[in-house]
Amino acid sequence: MDKFKVIEIKQSVFEDNDADANRLREELKQENTYLLNLMSSPGSGKTTTLTKTINELKDEFRIGVMEADIDSDVDAQTISSTGAKVIQLHTGGMCHLDADMTRQGIKELGTENVDLVILENVGNLVCPAEFDTGSTKNAMILSVPEGDDKPLKYPLMFSICDVLLINKIDVLEYFDFNIDLCTQRAKKLNPNIKVIPISARTGEGISEWTDWLRNQVKEGVK
Amino acid sequence: MHELGVLLEVVKQVETIALENEVNQIETLVLQVGELCSMVPKYLTKLYPAAVEGTVLADSKLEIEIIPGNGRCKQCGQVYNLIDNKGACPECKVMDFEMLSGKEFFIKEIVACE
Repeated sequence: MDKFKVIEIKQSVFEDNDADANRLREELKQENTYLLNLMSSPGSGKTTTLTKTINELKDEFRIGVMEADIDSDVDAQTISSTGAKVIQLHTGGMCHLDADMTRQGIKELGTENVDLVILENVGNLVCPAEFDTGSTKNAMILSVPEGDDKPLKYPLMFSICDVLLINKIDVLEYFDFNIDLCTQRAKKLNPNIKVIPISARTGEGISEWTDWLRNQVKEGVK
Repeated sequence: MHELGVLLEVVKQVETIALENEVNQIETLVLQVGELCSMVPKYLTKLYPAAVEGTVLADSKLEIEIIPGNGRCKQCGQVYNLIDNKGACPECKVMDFEMLSGKEFFIKEIVACE
């Protein structure tokens, strides 16, 4: 005669997506496709960095790019000028991409046509960190004008990334940004994070970054 | 403010659970939210009606249980709240801890109408 029934669940909300992401990671490995999830806040120079990266590596790998945006396709247009295969993913108002949306994008690109897929995630340091996309590795860009305190403010993002690119080092002298302090703060959260200072504009540091990525893709693909 | 996206994921999972349990209407949803899981309870509450509209959770109540963000100091073993103490052990003043709780984001239970 109970009117209500309590159903105990105790299920982690992120569990579904985590399981799906692990499946996608395994599928990509089978198909020799390396997926890099690139994250940052808006205006950190993601698209410029990506353009430089593609230009450095396009003779060695077949590269595909997935541009995730809430709306618009301005970034996709910029990237397609490099000759890389680009698709635009619209999240429809959502502030992140999950493993299922990523899988759909990959399907559209076709793994048989690409060795390296770069996912340009939604510009945001919070939500994309919560959802595993199924990527092989995660990289993030933090630009000098944003400040060296960001690891303190967005700890999760820094703790899930394998690489931290500190961009816009060509304007370091105009800002109170301490690279060592920022590195120290990031390493405290994630001792294994690789920190590479770059300037996508001048090209400084880009080769160190593309060397890392090249080795990764070769290891992953072979 | 990513609570809406996450709530939509919660709704999706609850709908699956409701279907499995042959539940058509839910009276209350109980979430467990860790202090360090980056979800703001206030926003969850505020956005809840929008997220559940037209779903099995429509008109249901949202209850949130907060799980404290606690750590154990690796130097002296003291257990302390990481937020209150800004991460540093109140005894040794060092920030060297093992995380005990606070990252959880769970669907704890649902109270279904019979």
